[in-house]
Amino acid sequence: MAQAALIDPSHPPEQSTAPRPAAVEIAGVTKTFQRRTGGTHLALAPIDLAVADGEFVSILGPSGCGKSTLLYIVGGFVPPSTGAVTVGGRPVTGPGPDRGPVFQEFALFPWKTVLGNVAYGPRQAGASKADAETKARGLLARVGLSAYETFYPKELSGGMKQRVAIARTLAYDPAILLMDEPFGALDAHTRLKLQNDLLALWERDRKTVLFVTHAVDEAVYLSDRIVVMSRQPGRIKEIVPVDLPRPRHRDELLLDARYQRYVIDIERLIEDPPEEAGA
Amino acid sequence: MTAAATRAGAALRPGLPPLLACLGLLACWQALAHLLTTGGMPDAVATFRELPAILGDQEALGDILDSLRRMALGFAIAVALSVPLGLAMGRSRLVASLVNPLLMVSYPVPKAALMPIIMLWLGVGDASKLLVIVLGASLPVIYHAYQGARAVEEKMIWSARAMGMSGASRLLRIVLPAALPEILVGCRTGIVLSLITMVTSEMIARQTGAGNILFNALDMAQYETVYAMILVIGALGIVLDVAFERARAALVGWSDEPDAIGVTAA
Ligand SMILES: Nc1ncnc2c1ncn2[C@@H]1O[C@H](COP(=O)(O)OP(=O)(O)OP(=O)(O)O)[C@@H](O)[C@H]1O
Ligand SMILES: [Mg+2]
Repeated sequence: MAQAALIDPSHPPEQSTAPRPAAVEIAGVTKTFQRRTGGTHLALAPIDLAVADGEFVSILGPSGCGKSTLLYIVGGFVPPSTGAVTVGGRPVTGPGPDRGPVFQEFALFPWKTVLGNVAYGPRQAGASKADAETKARGLLARVGLSAYETFYPKELSGGMKQRVAIARTLAYDPAILLMDEPFGALDAHTRLKLQNDLLALWERDRKTVLFVTHAVDEAVYLSDRIVVMSRQPGRIKEIVPVDLPRPRHRDELLLDARYQRYVIDIERLIEDPPEEAGA
Repeated sequence: MTAAATRAGAALRPGLPPLLACLGLLACWQALAHLLTTGGMPDAVATFRELPAILGDQEALGDILDSLRRMALGFAIAVALSVPLGLAMGRSRLVASLVNPLLMVSYPVPKAALMPIIMLWLGVGDASKLLVIVLGASLPVIYHAYQGARAVEEKMIWSARAMGMSGASRLLRIVLPAALPEILVGCRTGIVLSLITMVTSEMIARQTGAGNILFNALDMAQYETVYAMILVIGALGIVLDVAFERARAALVGWSDEPDAIGVTAA
């Protein structure tokens, strides 16, 4: 079964032979926070990372290693202390609809219904109310929340909020997705479903994805490359290219020795922090 | 057993306990009036008998409506000025640091005490009373708008920025609705304070109004009228508060703010 998928000629692993331009280029980015007590805290040591157009890159690392901070800097929400980020060749000076964040905290608009939340981005981009709502309904169907259109965020569970947040960001069609543990609050079943949905969407639209997660198997399943970070200060420990063919099918991958190898190796990389004596 | 039964009854009829409290109060009043037997304290029954006379009197009714109009206008002006100011304070440290000291200084000043000074500038007419009401109602609205704007979740604003929303429209379309539950808490205090400053302003600048009737009657030792007016003003306070609470629930039903906010002391 697995072998059949691996050599499937209709789906070569490299879909494009032309060298892809860097969609996101992170060059020498550091972040130092001013502590209230007067000192400073180096959250990110110099980070260098180039993400190709249409690439799916996951970021893995222990809590507090600066994954969210890095996404905020790419998103333009937080300025780096030194270094620079360019997106599509242009330096990032602030947020823009080309980069769609999905925050760890969901950050839904509580005064808007589920439908209103998802339609917000298209409305902001100038779509008519009807068009925005059509688009929003389509996305809500994909995240399985069609029945909850008229609900307010306070009436949703954590996992449902998370799905609304994902739909809200997808609705304005950003070229680059900045997803901060977007599946963190989901049950295993919904998580698998949304992983597959995200993969299908990505395979269709070829968005560039920066994807923060704590789940190693999720990262291996989804990514072209995995950035493993370590903390104090947060920096890149290793970048692991995931050389597994696409499209990927979870049941086949689970039986695939290479997949298992990746999961084990990366788990070791994360578990094994020799320099973290004081942490 | 009885306690449980009472609780069950209260759950069935939410209007019942306040009604019982009012009846209890009236009974105490009635008893006290008969015990004291001074002319300065008419009993409850006599006071209630006085009500139709006041409410039926064209002039008195006109005065009361005039008061209400002034109060509504003053409160509206206060909200219109205070909400933008409070929101700006909440989103800009500079504005907050400029305005905060002024608020701190003016907090403990009873606004009605400024009435004589204001009358020197604006005379005894509408303008002075209106200004005092605006001053009286503003502080809680500013303060709560400020707190509400400060507490807006940063990521919510970031989400709007990512959608390409400019700073000005974020203040209107993100910060304002996000802070609305808190703003309305301030407005509720503001509405009670505007009622209080309305009455006190009319006590100082006697011309028209509910306060004017009350204090004129006091001067002429018409104590039934005095007490009846107190009843009218108290009833106005309750009606306004209940109406406001209805409006609040309709406006911010989406928020998970605690629903019960007691009548705010002024
Ligand atoms: N606003 C801030 N002020 C001061 N320090 C901060 C701030 N935000 C983050 N930090 C620090 O930066 C470091 C990285 O935080 P960040 O939230 O990016 O971690 P993370 O990798 O996303 O963690 P998690 O997996 O728990 O979400 C932490 O040590 C944190 O203390
Ligand atoms: Mg994080």
